[in-house]
Amino acid sequence: MTGEKGNILEAPGIEGEASPSDAPVLQVADVTKDFEGVRALDGVGLTVRKGQIKALIGPNGAGKTTLLNVINGLLKPDKGRVLFKDHDLVTMRADKIGLLGLSRTFQLIRLFSVNNATILDNVMIGAHKKLQPTITGSLLFRGRMKRIEKTVRDKAYEALRLVGLEDAASNQPGALSFGNQRLVELARSLMAEPELLLLDEPASGLNDSEVEGLMGLLAAIQKRGITILLVEHNMKLVMSVSDDVVVINFGRRLAEGTPSQVSNDPQVIQAYLGADRIASWVRP
Amino acid sequence: MSRIKPLWWVLIIACVALFPMTLGGMSPYRCGILVLAGIYVILAVSLDLLMGYTGQISVGHAAFFAIGAYVSGILTTSHGAAPLPAMIAGMVLAAAVAWIVGRPLLKLKEYYLAMATLALNVVVVTLIVGLQRLTGGASGLKDIPSFSLLGIGFDNQVRYYYVVWSAVALVVLISLTVVRSPFGRTLLAIHSDETAARTFGIDCARYKVRVYVLSAVFASLAGSLFAHYMNFLAPDDFGVDTSINILVMLFLGGIGTVFGPVLGALFMKILHEVTYGFQDYEMFINGAVLILVLLFMPKGLYGVVSAIGRRLSARRSP
Repeated sequence: MTGEKGNILEAPGIEGEASPSDAPVLQVADVTKDFEGVRALDGVGLTVRKGQIKALIGPNGAGKTTLLNVINGLLKPDKGRVLFKDHDLVTMRADKIGLLGLSRTFQLIRLFSVNNATILDNVMIGAHKKLQPTITGSLLFRGRMKRIEKTVRDKAYEALRLVGLEDAASNQPGALSFGNQRLVELARSLMAEPELLLLDEPASGLNDSEVEGLMGLLAAIQKRGITILLVEHNMKLVMSVSDDVVVINFGRRLAEGTPSQVSNDPQVIQAYLGADRIASWVRP
Repeated sequence: MSRIKPLWWVLIIACVALFPMTLGGMSPYRCGILVLAGIYVILAVSLDLLMGYTGQISVGHAAFFAIGAYVSGILTTSHGAAPLPAMIAGMVLAAAVAWIVGRPLLKLKEYYLAMATLALNVVVVTLIVGLQRLTGGASGLKDIPSFSLLGIGFDNQVRYYYVVWSAVALVVLISLTVVRSPFGRTLLAIHSDETAARTFGIDCARYKVRVYVLSAVFASLAGSLFAHYMNFLAPDDFGVDTSINILVMLFLGGIGTVFGPVLGALFMKILHEVTYGFQDYEMFINGAVLILVLLFMPKGLYGVVSAIGRRLSARRSP
């Protein structure tokens, strides 16, 4: 429990500007998951390399969110492996995975709202890894708790400033638009000082100018060395920010590669999107 | 989370401290009502930690009330222990029971958790009735000495009033400190959304058990205070209806506020005394008041009090 200063976005062990390197942060191999006879994931695999933004796309029901849930331990796959750094995530509990440097946002917003919880409360809960409070700690070591609490609060304001919601800190999340609630989730997930950030449709509910803002935000996050795995339907966003795209359909990997490789892949074009749509993804 | 200004604290503490000399009129009867009310305040506040803050229902909180009462009763009668060590022994046993049953119990949710906690209450009462040689069984445990500490006896109601309300102050202070700390914020996350909480590294099961243990320790303290006040214990005092009474106090006062259950418990106990004279109509009047309060004050008594407080302070500072 150190109260080091510094930017909220500085992931541990990473200094200065990071560029995508070859070291894989996350390796998913051969993951299969059945839901009562429906095969949601069918031997899917992907690799996310350090420092990159990787987009995971596919039509509705392709298994994208299921895959994210498997990665962060909310679902256990029937088969397959998920490696994050040196840890096998398949055998780990979700809360243990949450302490490893992997955090996420949700497609259906999951902000904390009981007992008049504020936006600041929500963002500060993201830093649980740092606080891990106990009853005896809150009663007997109040001085130390308060010091850590202060650094966490400062960082929470910094995270909110980054997403442009600093002024709303003491409001309740329900008062925000869905798009802004997603940004609160993003700020909360950054508080966990992740090495890998899983974002589930961060652009849904945002208008065009907000999407532009999000693109800048994602680029800024990447610049600090945080790796991002992004599930998204907004192709403009996907094509402009991601280094790498993986397409899945019916729980299987259809294609993987750079945005231009994927959008020119005949299988992707034929099996899933139609040539017209793809043309509109790639910006002139 | 509301913060009461220091001036209000002084006022509240002064009211509690001066009650026996003023409204209490040094009357054992009136102070006695407030002793019982104080014991229920501790129970309601302890349940608020579990329900209002952590979102885990318990319909069997009287189980821990019983453990504290019977450990104090048994150790001070047949084993000649002093009240304070007996009280501590009760809290240790209640904590141990909560820790052991908490892990499997708190895996359950909602109705299932309600049924399981209710079952725990029934098991404890059945054990009390069954272990006749230890507990006195259905005929009760007699001749429990009054509370004493360092040779000072607290055998009259006015003196005991101060013991009980010191305990109330301690429980309220600890509860407020805990819920307003980062620990309280962690509970808020668990109450809101366990799935999201887990992804941030929160071990929900462990936190729920911790709160359950703290809540059980407080309930056990209330039980010990009850034993030394009544000097006689019977299994009937710790049944499911007692647990439900605690729940009613909690909702009546305002759940998830700490101060709410204090008001709720006081209100219920005083209402009971006021309507006692109506005999057959007592239950009817109590029921009617409860329905009215719950219908028209969804945030409980504390919600009304804090709304009045906000209006007054808004008027003062335009």
